[in-house]
Amino acid sequence: MTSEQDKKFQALDLKIAKALQIDVPELRMPELPDIAETNVRRLPARKRSMIPVWFALAATVVLATSISLRNSSLFQSYDSLAEEVLAHLDHEPDALRITDVAVSDEQFAHAVPASLVTFDRGTSLITYAQACIINGHSVPHLVIQGQYGPVTILLMSEEHVSEATPIDGVSVKGVILPVGKGSIAIIGDRQEQLEPIQENVVNSVVWTT
Amino acid sequence: MNSSSAEGKRRQRFDSLVTVFHQDMYRFAAWLSRDKAIAEDVVQEALLRAWRSLDSLRDDAAAKHWLLTIVRRENARYFERRRLETVDIDNLTASQAALLAETRNEEIDDLREAIFGLDDDYREPLVLQVLMGYSTGEIAEMMGLKQGAVLTRLHRARLKLMDSVAHE
Repeated sequence: MTSEQDKKFQALDLKIAKALQIDVPELRMPELPDIAETNVRRLPARKRSMIPVWFALAATVVLATSISLRNSSLFQSYDSLAEEVLAHLDHEPDALRITDVAVSDEQFAHAVPASLVTFDRGTSLITYAQACIINGHSVPHLVIQGQYGPVTILLMSEEHVSEATPIDGVSVKGVILPVGKGSIAIIGDRQEQLEPIQENVVNSVVWTT
Repeated sequence: MNSSSAEGKRRQRFDSLVTVFHQDMYRFAAWLSRDKAIAEDVVQEALLRAWRSLDSLRDDAAAKHWLLTIVRRENARYFERRRLETVDIDNLTASQAALLAETRNEEIDDLREAIFGLDDDYREPLVLQVLMGYSTGEIAEMMGLKQGAVLTRLHRARLKLMDSVAHE
């Protein structure tokens, strides 16, 4: 750009700035929902047990079966949600392919049911979408492509965390963010800049449960 | 800390951020939508969304960028939800025309009209740079473009404005 044009543009910018300074109406704050209240999950009131003996016996059998299943790797328990999230990544290595092929609308709709959450998929290229089980709840598991490889997103509508919880893996890092009544885990390569992705993802999600 | 005190602090933090950035949010929404009434709706939605996800903003120094990104997303949602057509320059509604309310400076009025007439692709980076003070790198990140593309759009936007104003 010539210096003459440079000067013209500088003068123009001053005028553009003035032209853009439109009057702003007085701030009208919307009615803000009580966040603390929406995070409280009330337990139903306890009722006196009216269970017949035969049902109690059947329940014992089910309990024994469940304990033996929990000892298998499929139902392994973890000390924290962050640990379970990390372990889940290892269970689904196929999700971490580097690709530029987006998942189909059908696959996306199956993994992200509108009854649970809506996710604006226009913000990023989603290359993997699957409904997975995390801590006993169905969780949409999405993968988008970051600058340093795939970035995993878990939309956990049933898991509330009180504050942002870091996730620290061998080759990955991430965070579990509190979002409304649920939380969202975002995990990527250690070099990945996750902050802009976090903003995009949080702004793209609306819980519908 | 009990929950009501935590809630109070959260509200206080939100109020102070909104007080500082409300004007930027509104002006950005108005120049994106080219409609004062829509801008007010978009800002209301953006404030609600910001309130719900306030805990994801860990550094208040990044609040402006965070809030404007929410406004940008809400504006896109607004037009998507209502399947609105882009503005018909020759047939403006009252709230669209309100954005072009005359000042005492004819030159500024002409320029405002010329900015209004720019395509979204040119108007948005120009507003982000001149009004919001973003660098071309930041604009590129926000709009999901390469920095070169932002530079090209900004250059073309200025040439178009110079041309428009020269022909007034």
